[in-house]
Amino acid sequence: MRLKPVQRLLIHIILLAGAFISAMPFLWMITTSLKPAGSLYDPPLLFPVHFEWQNYSEAWQAAPFPRFFLNSAIMTIGITFAQTLLSAMAGYAFARLRFPGRNILFFLILGTMMIPFPVTLIPSFLIVADLGWLDTYQALIVPRAVSAFAIFLFRQFFLAIPRELEEAALIDGANRVVIFLRIILPLSTPVIAASATFSFLFAWNDFLWPLIVTNSTEMRTVQLGLAMFQGQYGTFWTLLMAATVLVTLPAILAFLLAQRRFIEGITSSGLKG
Amino acid sequence: MKLVRVLTLLTMCLAFAGITFGQNLTFWHYWDGANGQVLQGLIDRYEEENPGVSIEAVFVPGSELVTRLQTAIAGRQTPTMAISDLVAMPLLTSSGVLAPLNEYIASSNVDMDDYFEGPLVYGLRDGSRYSLPVSASNLGLFWNKALFEEAGLDPETPPQNWDELMEFSKTINERTGVVGLELFTQGGEGTSWQWQVYLWSAGGEMLSEDLSEPAFNSEAGEKALSYWVDLVNEGGSNVAPWGLFGRGEAGMVMDGSWMTQFFPMQVSFELGSAVFPHSEAGGPATNMGGEQAFIFEGEDETKQAAWDFIEWFSSTPVQVEWDRGTGFMPIKHSVANDQAYVAWVKNARPLLLPFVESMQYARARPPVENYPQISDTLANYIVEAVYGRMSPEEALDAAAGEVAPLLR
Amino acid sequence: MTVNSIHSSNEGRAKRPTFSRLQQLPTALVFLLPAIVILGVFNFYPALYSLYLSFFDWNGISPLKEAVGLANYKRLLDSQEFWNSLRVTFVYAGGMTLGSIAVGLLVAILLNLNIEGRAFYRVLYFLPVITPTVAAGVVWKYLFDPSQGVVNRSLALVNIDGPAWLVAPGWALAAVVIVGVWKRVGFNMVVYLAALQGIPRTYYEAAQLDGAGPWQTFRHITLPLLAPSTFFLSVTALIEAFQVFDLVYVMTAGGPLKNTDVIGFYLYRYGFRYYELGFASAIAYAMFVLIFIVTVIQFRLTRSGASDAA
Repeated sequence: MRLKPVQRLLIHIILLAGAFISAMPFLWMITTSLKPAGSLYDPPLLFPVHFEWQNYSEAWQAAPFPRFFLNSAIMTIGITFAQTLLSAMAGYAFARLRFPGRNILFFLILGTMMIPFPVTLIPSFLIVADLGWLDTYQALIVPRAVSAFAIFLFRQFFLAIPRELEEAALIDGANRVVIFLRIILPLSTPVIAASATFSFLFAWNDFLWPLIVTNSTEMRTVQLGLAMFQGQYGTFWTLLMAATVLVTLPAILAFLLAQRRFIEGITSSGLKG
Repeated sequence: MKLVRVLTLLTMCLAFAGITFGQNLTFWHYWDGANGQVLQGLIDRYEEENPGVSIEAVFVPGSELVTRLQTAIAGRQTPTMAISDLVAMPLLTSSGVLAPLNEYIASSNVDMDDYFEGPLVYGLRDGSRYSLPVSASNLGLFWNKALFEEAGLDPETPPQNWDELMEFSKTINERTGVVGLELFTQGGEGTSWQWQVYLWSAGGEMLSEDLSEPAFNSEAGEKALSYWVDLVNEGGSNVAPWGLFGRGEAGMVMDGSWMTQFFPMQVSFELGSAVFPHSEAGGPATNMGGEQAFIFEGEDETKQAAWDFIEWFSSTPVQVEWDRGTGFMPIKHSVANDQAYVAWVKNARPLLLPFVESMQYARARPPVENYPQISDTLANYIVEAVYGRMSPEEALDAAAGEVAPLLR
Repeated sequence: MTVNSIHSSNEGRAKRPTFSRLQQLPTALVFLLPAIVILGVFNFYPALYSLYLSFFDWNGISPLKEAVGLANYKRLLDSQEFWNSLRVTFVYAGGMTLGSIAVGLLVAILLNLNIEGRAFYRVLYFLPVITPTVAAGVVWKYLFDPSQGVVNRSLALVNIDGPAWLVAPGWALAAVVIVGVWKRVGFNMVVYLAALQGIPRTYYEAAQLDGAGPWQTFRHITLPLLAPSTFFLSVTALIEAFQVFDLVYVMTAGGPLKNTDVIGFYLYRYGFRYYELGFASAIAYAMFVLIFIVTVIQFRLTRSGASDAA
């Protein structure tokens, strides 16, 4: 679609206004992270006037952050990879295969999203403890290796892929696994990128579960590191925000890496046609 | 030569055995930042003085500590010892996995009479004591000297009683346009723990003496709640999100002893602090908080080693050091009267002085398992009255009606 | 290809080779087994345990659990707090879901146009999803501050006397909905962008050849083809909205006067503050039933959701 310059300008004005509101709290976070503690209560500014870089080094040294980053990275990569693959497989089965009990099973899986996590905390902990997994990476990863949410996302996406593409292959005698790997997955780059981004953010930001299943400082994750700045008796805002900016960077990087895929995934596929 | 080698090997084996026979204790706490570092410093020294004992201090965020303990208890994965906010003690003692401390206390140097009475009501169940206070905090008045001056008040003279408090608040509000006294009107524990100070000062009580009935719906309760309503309606207070005082938008506030550490770092005006103004009926009062330490059931030697540490940690010289490092309030008379401690407060933390003085008036919230729910319920009706939806009498009666079943 | 022929891709199932249901079962098992095992052990079992707990009175810590039958559910239905929470939750869920889908779709469509700086906008619009709720809460609280806040100052410029927002009983929930929408838009945008990319360009070209205007193209091509995504987003937004907790926790703590006491916060209070695990589990199951019913209705209403599940 061709846009007239006036339309273009109008669109930019709308988008910029929205983008500004979207970015405001994040800008505040950066500004606060660079403030001296003494001007904490000044009206919040969006752009920094102070540059207390030592907030960052102080925050970094307040907890064993290198170790926390390593743990978070291992956990997040494990969860993201497992959730994307296993959920895509399950989503495909629900979208394309016919088998008895399919709808019931699908609704059961959807149902797991509807039980609030806090009330399942104690039984989930007991399972992990019985398996002897406390304070291990498998306790951090395996219980969250499949996501009902991602299964649902993949199912909806696969439903929108025209069946004709597979039917030709089926008639040629290809089996479903081959079709899934060779035809479906290559077509699904945008949704894989979206789902992986959500898995990454979920894992990277998770707080309660890592806290519950780890005991030692060596197994703690970045979000638990942030909790050290929010004390019972007061929050060290400047340090908390400095640490938060550092901890949020990988999430932004993940989004930047994935976002190209949201938009260019289709270019090489037959759908373009 | 061979013999020497064998002997060396043997001694090495024994040495290793000695290490394994030593005690490895785990200690869960939520003391963050500088407080956590002071704790670690004390632990390091204790380990040095007591070879064979090693203590791993594990930080658990305060808001999740009880949840973490719940799962640990359910999965039988408890630490050797832990601390908790005193309000959670009635819940924790219901677990049946805390070790009674009576015998340890009896056979040690711990003098229970030396402790401030307030927090000792916590940690008791069926005649046994399961926890000891290890830190304290309380509430007092902070005021903004610059705003006092702007309002034509003497910046060095805080209000003494409720009449003055109302008058000062009104004056500040009228002359400077900002809020006179900031109240916590958002409900929850923030509201109810502030309001209890007014209740006690008006001569009232939260619960009956045997903790079986609400007692706040009394004449004193009405007086305290009417005072709040008057403050909001005509006394220079308002209903607003909490945090005005720190931004210089309120002349006075009731806040905790720990803020003597935070406010000076964060605000840009000169601060004063005082014992909170009182009503004649009940005299000065304050609400005491803090942490208590407890030991989990386990092997006798482990429990003994944990107790030895807690006893050392509770001793007056260590507590003096602890309070100086953290700014926590003394838990014992001997600490509050300790010369080194008093000298430190006077020189390094003069804002803390009124809080130390307040310790003698300090009361504790009722030690009942349902306290959090009672607190929220009461706070909810306090807010109803402050918003003018109910009269103070109606509000307190309605709250009492809902609180009564929680005490059965 | 014409506009009408698009639907043939969905309705082309008549041509498709038919299999008996059992024939595909082994293949389905291969695809589903890991998911079933993991969800079974770490989701179904804990969920059933929680159902079991809802028939007990338990503080989560005592060795004693007292069986109370249906008492927790009866108490729930008798509780004014519960019905208030329900009302608040429906308002929040409705507002947040509709608002975030409308705005998310608008942003995705604008960003799918060939305009400058798309990558830049995408990142900014996604920032709220990444921004920690604690930080977002602080800033929004300040924006909604009755006297100092940007919102009321802006309203004052056009001579509107803004409400006290977070401490005004009639307005606090609206403020929380606004922040909920703010936080969700970026997520919806990403899903819509992925879906928009999946629409073959030939469909649009065909529509243009047929002389369809932009609005008609949007109505008859874009919207129907986005339906599976819209369905996904509305279901997941509702589920998220029904469970919202942290936003309320940092902004209003359920107040003023329980006007923002969403069911997620109500559950938090009983489970994590009052330590009534049995009652909290009953609340969780009440939530479950509600969300489930709403989801089934959504499936029924949306052809696409049910399109292949029928």
